[in-house]
Amino acid sequence: MSEIFSKVSQVKEKIISEMSSIKDESSLKEFQEKHLSKKSELSQLMSEIKNLANEEKAKFGQAMNDARSAVNEAFQKKAQEINDALIARKLAKETIDITLPGYNYKMGGINPFYLVQDEIIDTFVSMGYEVKEGPDVESDYYNFERMNIPANHPAREMQDSFYINPTTLLRTHTSPEQARAMDEKEGKPLMMICPGKCFRRDDDDVTHSHQFGQVEGLVVGKGITLANLKGTLELFIRKMFGEKRQVRFRGSYFPFTEPSVEVDVTCMNCGGKGCSTCKGTGFIEILGAGMVHPNVLKMAGYDPEVYSGFAFGVGIERVAMLRYGIDDIRKIYQGDVRFIEQFSRK
Amino acid sequence: MKVSLNLLKKFVDLEGLTPEEIAHRFTFAGVEVESIEHIASGSKLVVGEVIHCENMENSDHLHVTKVNCGPEYGTLDIVCGAPNCRKGLKVIVALDGCVLPGGTIKKGQIRGHESNGMLCSLLELGVDSKYLKEEQTKGIEELPSNFEVGSTNVLELLGLDDVVLDLKLLANRSDLYSILNVAKEIKTLFSKETKIPEVKVKENLKASFPVDSKTEKCPQFSARVVKGIVTKESPSWLKEALRSSGIRSINNIVDIGNYVMLLTGQPLHMYDLDKLPKKELVVRDDIEGDFVALDEKTYKLQKGDICITSSGKVMCLGGVMGSLECAVDEKTRNIVIEAANFDYASIRRTSIRLNLSSDSSQRFVKGINPNQYNFVMDLTADLLLSLAEAKEIAEVDTYLKAEFKPTRVASSFEYINARLGTSFSKEEILSALASADIKVEEKGEKFVAIIPDRRIDITGEADLSEEVIRILGFENIEAKLPVTELFVGHLEPNLEKKRIVRSYLRGIGLDEVLNYSLMRESEINDFRILNKDEAYRVLNPLTDEHEYVRTNLLPSLMNTLVYNKNHSNDNVAIFEVSDIYSKENKKHIHLGIALVGNDLRRFAIKGEAYSYYHLKGVVDSLLALFNIDEKRTVLARCSEQEFHPGKSATLKIDGKLAAVFGELHPNTLKRYHLDKENVVVLEMDLGVLFDTKTSLKKMEQISRYQSVKRDFAFIFEDKVTSKEVLSEVRKINRDLIKEVEVFDVYKGEHVKEGHYSLAFSVYLNSNEKTLSDKEISDIEEQIIKAVELKFGAELRK
Repeated sequence: MSEIFSKVSQVKEKIISEMSSIKDESSLKEFQEKHLSKKSELSQLMSEIKNLANEEKAKFGQAMNDARSAVNEAFQKKAQEINDALIARKLAKETIDITLPGYNYKMGGINPFYLVQDEIIDTFVSMGYEVKEGPDVESDYYNFERMNIPANHPAREMQDSFYINPTTLLRTHTSPEQARAMDEKEGKPLMMICPGKCFRRDDDDVTHSHQFGQVEGLVVGKGITLANLKGTLELFIRKMFGEKRQVRFRGSYFPFTEPSVEVDVTCMNCGGKGCSTCKGTGFIEILGAGMVHPNVLKMAGYDPEVYSGFAFGVGIERVAMLRYGIDDIRKIYQGDVRFIEQFSRK
Repeated sequence: MKVSLNLLKKFVDLEGLTPEEIAHRFTFAGVEVESIEHIASGSKLVVGEVIHCENMENSDHLHVTKVNCGPEYGTLDIVCGAPNCRKGLKVIVALDGCVLPGGTIKKGQIRGHESNGMLCSLLELGVDSKYLKEEQTKGIEELPSNFEVGSTNVLELLGLDDVVLDLKLLANRSDLYSILNVAKEIKTLFSKETKIPEVKVKENLKASFPVDSKTEKCPQFSARVVKGIVTKESPSWLKEALRSSGIRSINNIVDIGNYVMLLTGQPLHMYDLDKLPKKELVVRDDIEGDFVALDEKTYKLQKGDICITSSGKVMCLGGVMGSLECAVDEKTRNIVIEAANFDYASIRRTSIRLNLSSDSSQRFVKGINPNQYNFVMDLTADLLLSLAEAKEIAEVDTYLKAEFKPTRVASSFEYINARLGTSFSKEEILSALASADIKVEEKGEKFVAIIPDRRIDITGEADLSEEVIRILGFENIEAKLPVTELFVGHLEPNLEKKRIVRSYLRGIGLDEVLNYSLMRESEINDFRILNKDEAYRVLNPLTDEHEYVRTNLLPSLMNTLVYNKNHSNDNVAIFEVSDIYSKENKKHIHLGIALVGNDLRRFAIKGEAYSYYHLKGVVDSLLALFNIDEKRTVLARCSEQEFHPGKSATLKIDGKLAAVFGELHPNTLKRYHLDKENVVVLEMDLGVLFDTKTSLKKMEQISRYQSVKRDFAFIFEDKVTSKEVLSEVRKINRDLIKEVEVFDVYKGEHVKEGHYSLAFSVYLNSNEKTLSDKEISDIEEQIIKAVELKFGAELRK
């Protein structure tokens, strides 16, 4: 009687030990058919139950069940192992070169001209300025007369212009938008900037361009002073070029401002120590500005006894060239994608 | 304006001021000094005498010399290569360690001979060759024999110790085209004493030369007769004064005229008294006809030109150029000197029209001191007496339209500080104004400023505020932010929308370029599709390359594509957003896109050739971005010659032409030498897009029930478009058919010639319930029937 029990145990051990020979899916299947089917050696032992005494039958059944589950459990484990190995081999075959370039979701490049223009716009919008665009093709009246440059004024020599007809020209500066903005406001205070293209009869070379960009700025209100201009420009320049920049005024002349100043900023290349970029001075000329000329206010219907204002004009290419070390203004207009793609946000 | 400091210091004390200090202070006070030019330089120079000179063996040009350099430096062995080197010559010796513009001199060996310095030419001291005679440029400088050996002040002895400041004068400071006024500026900015000479000439002839003006353009005209002059070479001090200011010496008479103009800023003209038809000068502006000028050229006069006439004949084109007829020459003995003031605008017009510009006309154009003609006349006469042996000086005859009155400007101390944002004291402001020769009549807090004649730029109180701050210093301005009303910062709507389009296009990987607005005539006539309006032409272009204002963007973008292809940039995707201008339509906002090569976005290695569908996708996305329903648009084939007739389209929004896009015609590609390329372009009138009114989009309910998808494939004739099919399908049940999407297009095997297979998915759903099988199959049947009936299509099984 105990013989049959030890037989069950023997068969179970034998089957489990045979499992180590399973190496792949087909031997797994073979093994399953041989040892886990109804006709398997272990199942066959069940037929012995009829030879047992009743009280032994339950015990035997239990022993058989235990043996079967032990075998099944071992087999499941083995099957899992084989399957894992199989998947691992399959995945190994699928290995790719992870260093190849990925799909290209890059932003397109941006011309540094626009990079600078957009940033100037954002800076002044955050200070509460409105942004207006004037026309490239402008009347003599707005471009000159309203900017306190009457016909044959000597300052017209400075602004050799492209004329379309005797009274129409390609604007030589964005300043005429000052007059338009004031006309629209009908005597009320205002803060505005105007970015845009300008044209002058300059031969194109490394630093000159017959077409160039400017951002004009204008603030008109009660009690606006030259000190306010300095405060505003200091804020702007520190945003654009860094917190440590100093702003310096030099006397200058524009027909539409009085006093007029050239604005210098600490050299962004050397930080003020003096280098080739700033020709050893530690400062770089960045824009022209001044207090709005009383005639300009008057022509726009503002009483210069009550209102005052400041105005400034920034050259976009100049800022871009200084900031990004661009050595030739013509590169901005060439459209070479190897140039454009060097620039993205900041 | 070139200012020689040697000349300047005759008229103002420059003691203790370096050229750099002057340049710095001037520049900050609004008078930019562009350059500081040292006429010559050399640190260790000495006068030497060649006491021995022999040719070096085995050299065809070198000399071995002994040079006596005086008791301090002794006799030095020096090798010299100049052809004029010889015994007995007094020379400039650059000693060991001397720093010259070209480098530092060091002693050494030359072909075995010791050399302890260099014998110099003036070129080597940095003197510009334009100031030298030819022989001076070919060898070492031959010093006058009276120069003392051993003297170390060589530059001073030669008059070459001068420094020239180049002033970049802005339009407001025309007064500084005068050395005397520059001297006064030094006084203003450095509190130095001026030394302006008082000139009073004793006249020995009565005024007898009638002058008159028949035009408003000449408010003042003075003439003075001077008799018995002798024309000869100018003395060296005068030649030097002119040379350092960039003016060539001609003879004493011409040089005196130029020197007076240099000192005072007043242009003069001199007539040969004996050649004048009548002893009178009358200013007129009503003369037409030919005029033979000093340069022997004939000019056409127009009414409006300022003419100085004598007996009705034009003797001088006022302020511009004299006539040949009465020109002063070597034989001239008696002259009439003219000092007048002319309307700057008129001089400018004449000068530009005749393309005639001179130092005189430039000064008139900028504006001159209207009230110094008597001083100028005396200064000139005084020089003619001392340098041209003048015998008789007549009194000055003057025509004056109105008595000159100095400009008076009323202002207040409060105004000055309020404009500047400063808190200068009354005394500070008064002292600044006084230093600029501005007299002040105080009335408590207010004052009246009396402006000196030379400062024609100061006309209002704003000008006074500038004068105060440039003299007291801009560094006194403290940065203060303005206190104003609060405004909401914002962009003009179109500017905002342009930004949205630009960021979207950069977002899908296109590069943003910027092109010139001015183009060639041939270029602007290409791709003249969206805007056919006449282009603006520039009257005065610099080159024909930049003559017309572009009316469309594609010509520029095509050029940029070509530029990139020529520089081996094979895959290019660029765009530009720009306002364009034309005669009738004025302003439009355009977008241009140009693609060539492969789209590398899908997979950077292989890419996919750019095609019509790339830009069709961009167009659809832009419409979606601006919330414009497809129903408001019409897409039609484009028949423009630049485009591929089968692979291009025009887009209309609400009936307005908004865009043209697609692949290009082979002829176009050939024209741009892009034959082998696949180029796809787009031009869009963004204004149409921006101006299309759309209502605020409200949320649409999404069904809670399961959506059902059914796929169909039909064979269609080629002429049937997918858009027609899809809209026909949608019409069948607008409630339940939520979406119809193409998922395959096929042409080729198993599809007969002239036909294609179109497969699409239909998404069915209801907002109220789950659709029953019956409802679904009913719609399926309707779709099949409708498509077969409408298009004669055949369902693929």
